[in-house]
Amino acid sequence: MNTVPTVTVRREIAAPAAVLFDAWLDAASLTVWMLPGDTQRTGIKLDPRVGGAFEFVMHTPKGSIPHTGTYREITRPRRLVFTWNSPYAGQTDSLVTVEFRALRGGTEIVLTHEGLPSAEMAAAHNGGWSDIVALLAATQEKARAAG
Amino acid sequence: MGEYRNAGLDAVFGAAADSTRRAILTRLAASDARVTEIAAGFPISLNSVSKHIRMLERAGLVRREIVGRDHYLSLNARPLAEAADWITEYRRFWTGKLAALEDFVTQKHPTTGKRKKR
Repeated sequence: MNTVPTVTVRREIAAPAAVLFDAWLDAASLTVWMLPGDTQRTGIKLDPRVGGAFEFVMHTPKGSIPHTGTYREITRPRRLVFTWNSPYAGQTDSLVTVEFRALRGGTEIVLTHEGLPSAEMAAAHNGGWSDIVALLAATQEKARAAG
Repeated sequence: MGEYRNAGLDAVFGAAADSTRRAILTRLAASDARVTEIAAGFPISLNSVSKHIRMLERAGLVRREIVGRDHYLSLNARPLAEAADWITEYRRFWTGKLAALEDFVTQKHPTTGKRKKR
């Protein structure tokens, strides 16, 4: 049961875990691959140690979008945990966990992004975010039926 | 990332965190209702139900219309859709990032790319 919305993305990549892991904590590497769709340039600043901060500023035609956070866990080459703040993620931190699992000939990356809109909310584990998504689907059905 | 505004996102997620509030939303998804009708369906006091309803109003999920002595409630699903977008947007965002990481790493280390067996 998830109270908070969670996104999980997996990808199998034919490269060693250490190479992939290091690409997350190296400014020169991040500048190349941490580019969302319409971003022209990303300004990367980071302090890759537990408690250290990062700032990825994505410069798009519509303006600059700062993404900031703090490293919570750095276990090379298996697990990286950091907080994530962006103008599109609500006003408080969300949490990203990236796990690197060695496979024959490559690595599986499992990325989990949990919304943590507020401390009270994260503590109030009484039910499911999935219920709300189901409810939303039901209301859309109803709207379609009515329309 | 998307264009949606989420000033009230915290409040929407907060509303989703409680089973009584979700039950109220589910009831209102079926039809509009008076506050007293909603309260009758729960084994808690009218006062407690009212508090939950006020929280849902603050999140923009419930609208209240006062007609004489009756307070009618209706569901506004739009903030839910915006909250659900959070998932859609971030799934797209991180899927794109991991694809870009793969391109970056396999171009940088072309020999490791050939070792992959299926």
